[in-house]
Amino acid sequence: MADQDVEAFADFYDRTRARVYGLVTRVLRDPGYSEETTQDIYLQVWRNAENYDPTAGSPLAWLMTLAHRRAVDRVRAEQAAGERESRYGAANIDRPADQVADAVVERDEHNQVRVCLDSLTAVQRECVELAYYGGLTYTQVSERLSANLATIKSRIRDAIRSLRNCLGVT
Amino acid sequence: MTQPDPAELLALATPYALHAVTDDEALEIERQLIAAPADVANAFINEVRAVRETMAVVSESTALEPPPLLRARLLDTVTRSNRRARNRWQTVALAAAAVIAVGLAAVGIGLAVRPTPAPPSTAAQILAAPDVRTVSTPVTSSGTATLVFSRERNAGVLVMNNVVAPNAGSVYQMWLVGDNGARSAGLIDDASVGPSTKVVLTDLSDSKVLAFTVEPAGGSAQPTTPIFAKLPLA
Repeated sequence: MADQDVEAFADFYDRTRARVYGLVTRVLRDPGYSEETTQDIYLQVWRNAENYDPTAGSPLAWLMTLAHRRAVDRVRAEQAAGERESRYGAANIDRPADQVADAVVERDEHNQVRVCLDSLTAVQRECVELAYYGGLTYTQVSERLSANLATIKSRIRDAIRSLRNCLGVT
Repeated sequence: MTQPDPAELLALATPYALHAVTDDEALEIERQLIAAPADVANAFINEVRAVRETMAVVSESTALEPPPLLRARLLDTVTRSNRRARNRWQTVALAAAAVIAVGLAAVGIGLAVRPTPAPPSTAAQILAAPDVRTVSTPVTSSGTATLVFSRERNAGVLVMNNVVAPNAGSVYQMWLVGDNGARSAGLIDDASVGPSTKVVLTDLSDSKVLAFTVEPAGGSAQPTTPIFAKLPLA
């Protein structure tokens, strides 16, 4: 029985590892931290699989939410420790091309996501970069961009809505 | 933020879903959500869900293979862990496999075919929390007390089944007990005890136990009688 569980877990890991490790790396931008955090995420998944509630969303959304949460917690902990500026710098707007290179992706889907990301306006993309991949709070985003809070909130919301419509997520 | 404005609350759904709020802000949002009218809470939760499904799809764009050694280390750790209750594994893994294999279309369809959810009760919101826990205890006189709670939501729903009503002139008082002693979590009087009594508890904070005592009508500042039932919150 236990072996079956481990097998199922291994299968789950194999199907999702690139997404999780990729997102964590994107947020943390440090291979060592990213590996450690990815391991923590999957151990949390292993221990808390029974908490997954199918009515609350897809398993992938559950996993990616958990992964993003852990990555952001890690960034903020580092930030609190005063290491952020030196270690992470400001959130980068551009993604190094080599990170994309060995990504294992299904091409059509990847292209569609890319197209949808590219369809965002520059200010929307900037907000998503800072708030989602940069681990900043919307207040910090508004300070960074010298824009008022209401503007930032609606920019973030419009950006995600636009992605959602473009991707056909109902 | 004592008089929450529904529009203000809803404007925070996307930042909340993206973890782009501080922990304090998240707690405040969750408190407001539990107190909000069902349609507002429903709209908020639906938006959070949609944002998270969207970002799950977007995660394809940042995919990156982890070092192979991570897999070996992880599987070694879980193989050595002797935890029970792993039977959800098959379900979760298969569902994830289906979503990923069929790709975008499946994500959309998967969501579309789900029955339109009824407005989520506070219980539903707590149940949807990633860290939801359930604890239960028999009550000395009769019946059971069950608490479904979430530390992340900082709230719980207490359900008391077949518990006899307190004697006239007295109430059941709930206490959240932590390192700094007990603080009242509310009263249950004889009028509010039914075959199944539901009580929403907010602000669990760092309390470790939910305890029950019998107190005079109106309640007490501190417990004055022995605890007749308790639920661990650890």
